[in-house]
Amino acid sequence: MSRPHQYIALVSSLPHLGKLFSRKDVPISGFRLKQRLSMLEPAHASLLREMVEVTAWAGVAGFDRDIDVIRRANKVLADLQAYPDLQHLVGARMETRTLIAALRRRRDGQESAADIENWGLGRWCNQIRANWNDPAFGLGHFMPWVGEAHRLMLAGDHIAMERLVLTQVFDQLGHYGNLHEFDFEAVAIYVLRWVIVERWSRYNEADARARLETLVAAALAGKTDAGGLAGRQDLFSDFTSALEGAFS
Amino acid sequence: MNEFVVALGWFGLFAPVALGAIGSAWGCALGGSAAIGAMLDSDGGYGRFIGVSLMPSSQVIYGIVIMFSLQQPTIDAANGAALFGIGLLSGVTMLYTGIRQGEVLASAIHASKAKPEIFGISLAPAAVLEGFSVFALVFALVLSGSIPA
Repeated sequence: MSRPHQYIALVSSLPHLGKLFSRKDVPISGFRLKQRLSMLEPAHASLLREMVEVTAWAGVAGFDRDIDVIRRANKVLADLQAYPDLQHLVGARMETRTLIAALRRRRDGQESAADIENWGLGRWCNQIRANWNDPAFGLGHFMPWVGEAHRLMLAGDHIAMERLVLTQVFDQLGHYGNLHEFDFEAVAIYVLRWVIVERWSRYNEADARARLETLVAAALAGKTDAGGLAGRQDLFSDFTSALEGAFS
Repeated sequence: MNEFVVALGWFGLFAPVALGAIGSAWGCALGGSAAIGAMLDSDGGYGRFIGVSLMPSSQVIYGIVIMFSLQQPTIDAANGAALFGIGLLSGVTMLYTGIRQGEVLASAIHASKAKPEIFGISLAPAAVLEGFSVFALVFALVLSGSIPA
């Protein structure tokens, strides 16, 4: 089967994911998805693995410092040169994470974003640095969700915050997904959306609360690596990957 | 010069079949790929997926009909150019509509898998493309009657 036809078959074999939060389970299991993705060209499978690695918590957890993740993300962005929409998508995901990290750092008492180049990536770094004390970092006029996230974070409503961010990212993926139907980009966007749906299907409020308490306790206990760990989680805590090992 | 026009005439005579066959093959491959993929994700209704994926087969049939209507006892300088013009352009139409029909059928199969109730209406664009092929067929038949024998 030639590549266009192969990708038509692959995309058609993937079930519709539906709306976010509309179902409790994923329409296709990780195992089945892995089987279907074996139809990908080897080069595309490698690119997809890289994309998932920088966008999923399980992937970035292997890095010790935020700066390493940023370097990795820059490499992925360079590797995606032939796929501008995916490049924009990964860039937008990193920017969203940078904004969330900034909100969390500000809530935790950080007084400025002077060192943002060490933990943030994308177009908004200077904007965040210049508008550190603005609730939405001066971006509220065209990204209203930032102000809403700030409000939810101050209110301590972590679940609503998670929903808001997941919705934002899901919509972002949907926007680019509308531009592609039967190509590699369509498959990659499907997988990234699947990761979000799968993440939400496994979401457990009690577990999330326990994890948060563990992190807070570790930070208060003054563990040497707690600051670094908290910093990483600030930036990359919105997704876990159920595709761990899926591409190996 | 006459030989060249005669060659063009033969080219135009077979063009609807050849180009129609390419369009049908391409379109069926596109629709068939989507049908195969959809079958992986469905528990039934395989027949209708395969059935609609074969819709672009009609282009080669129209091409054969056009070829027979253009066929002349002899191809010479008087009718070579007409055969070339009508045959080539109707063939290109069959090629293009066959490919595009395959694409919209792939989309229709993919979409109706998520929302089975739109299966019928999602075939409307493919039916419209079929209509354009029929226009080309009918008017090729009409014009073939005025080609000097």
